[in-house]
Amino acid sequence: MSIVVQTPDLVDLLTRVATRDRAAFATLYKLTQAKLFGVIARILVRRDIAGEVLQEVYVRIWEKASDYERGKGSPIAWMATIARNRALDEVRRAKPVALEDMPDSFEPAAEEVDPLGSRERSEQLVALMKCLGQLDSEKRQIVLLAYYRGASREALAQRFSRPVPTIKTWLHRSLAQLKDCLSS
Amino acid sequence: MSLSPEDEMNAAEFALGTLDEGDRSAIAARRQREDELDSAIVAWERRLAPLVESIPELSPPQDYLAAILARIDGRVRAIDDRAGNVADLTRRLSRWRVGAIAASGLAAALALGIGLRETNRSQAPHEFVAVLQKSADAPAFMVTVNLDTRDLIVRPVAAPAQAGKSYELWIINDKLGAPRSLGVIDQARTIANPKLAAYDRAVVTDATYAVTVEPEGGSPTGAPSGAPVFVGKLIPTGQ
Repeated sequence: MSIVVQTPDLVDLLTRVATRDRAAFATLYKLTQAKLFGVIARILVRRDIAGEVLQEVYVRIWEKASDYERGKGSPIAWMATIARNRALDEVRRAKPVALEDMPDSFEPAAEEVDPLGSRERSEQLVALMKCLGQLDSEKRQIVLLAYYRGASREALAQRFSRPVPTIKTWLHRSLAQLKDCLSS
Repeated sequence: MSLSPEDEMNAAEFALGTLDEGDRSAIAARRQREDELDSAIVAWERRLAPLVESIPELSPPQDYLAAILARIDGRVRAIDDRAGNVADLTRRLSRWRVGAIAASGLAAALALGIGLRETNRSQAPHEFVAVLQKSADAPAFMVTVNLDTRDLIVRPVAAPAQAGKSYELWIINDKLGAPRSLGVIDQARTIANPKLAAYDRAVVTDATYAVTVEPEGGSPTGAPSGAPVFVGKLIPTGQ
């Protein structure tokens, strides 16, 4: 049997990292690097830049481990949020590169990430999927492309052949709808 | 919750990641000061975070653990160095001040920078400091840059707080064209997400760093609103 329940281990590891436990940090890195690199590399297409950002993200995790609050989301969600934010900062700065490098990743066929297809689902993901499922397909795709690929309003406007203000309006409506749905 | 509907959407789009660079850094600066906005962003990050489960793992091209630990060690040394010793800071400042008076302002900092860089070439320095000043005897901000981590720390030396205004830090280098913002120096006089990672080593080490006074929250246009009030260049600290 190779079923690994990681969540309690990661909480324990993060707690130890907060006390500057290097061995715990090394284990945490080994367990989570592929997940975080998956998050970063989908936003930053260039692998060398993604690798650089991955290193910065782990330095930040080392420094901020004591900020993690048990019970307010899983450790991996907390770490992935740090990774996403850092990757987004980077991709917005490197804007001339982003669109040129991205066209194939904007083909829905190449979009291998599918929340509805993921095998293991937490209650939270199930709830979020249900709410995403209530959006029109195009609007749902916009939210997912933004989340997975770090697509900006401009990139989405180009991809969906709509003016930027339309994309902005759609995003706002979709996000408001999601918020209502999740709180109901 | 009295967050405006507009800011609720700013928070949502910040978490989703759809804001452009200007809006993104403006919100990043504001969340440092505005707790409600910050909480709204965190709430949105949590709403969307379950999607992370559905992102497939991808092995990094190499094992970065050793490199990360080295960065952490370098960071700890740099922090000890900075925080530990006010006397040392004063001593360093007076050293630069002597140099600056000798040859006047920027030119002196530049000359000293080149001199130190020559002697340290074999060691490839990682830590650099710039003293941003208006005149040779009045340093206002001290900027520390770690080239490896692209970490940037701004420390006020004698910059007066300006009500309803923000100090904004810029990087100026011919290779970049127009001055590029590195972020708004917030009330704690630090920059939350300094945007140094986008620039290569030569640009970072050769650039001029300048601080302008901007409307609260930073320049609305993305370009400096006026002439810099403090300027300086980086010099290696010798580590």
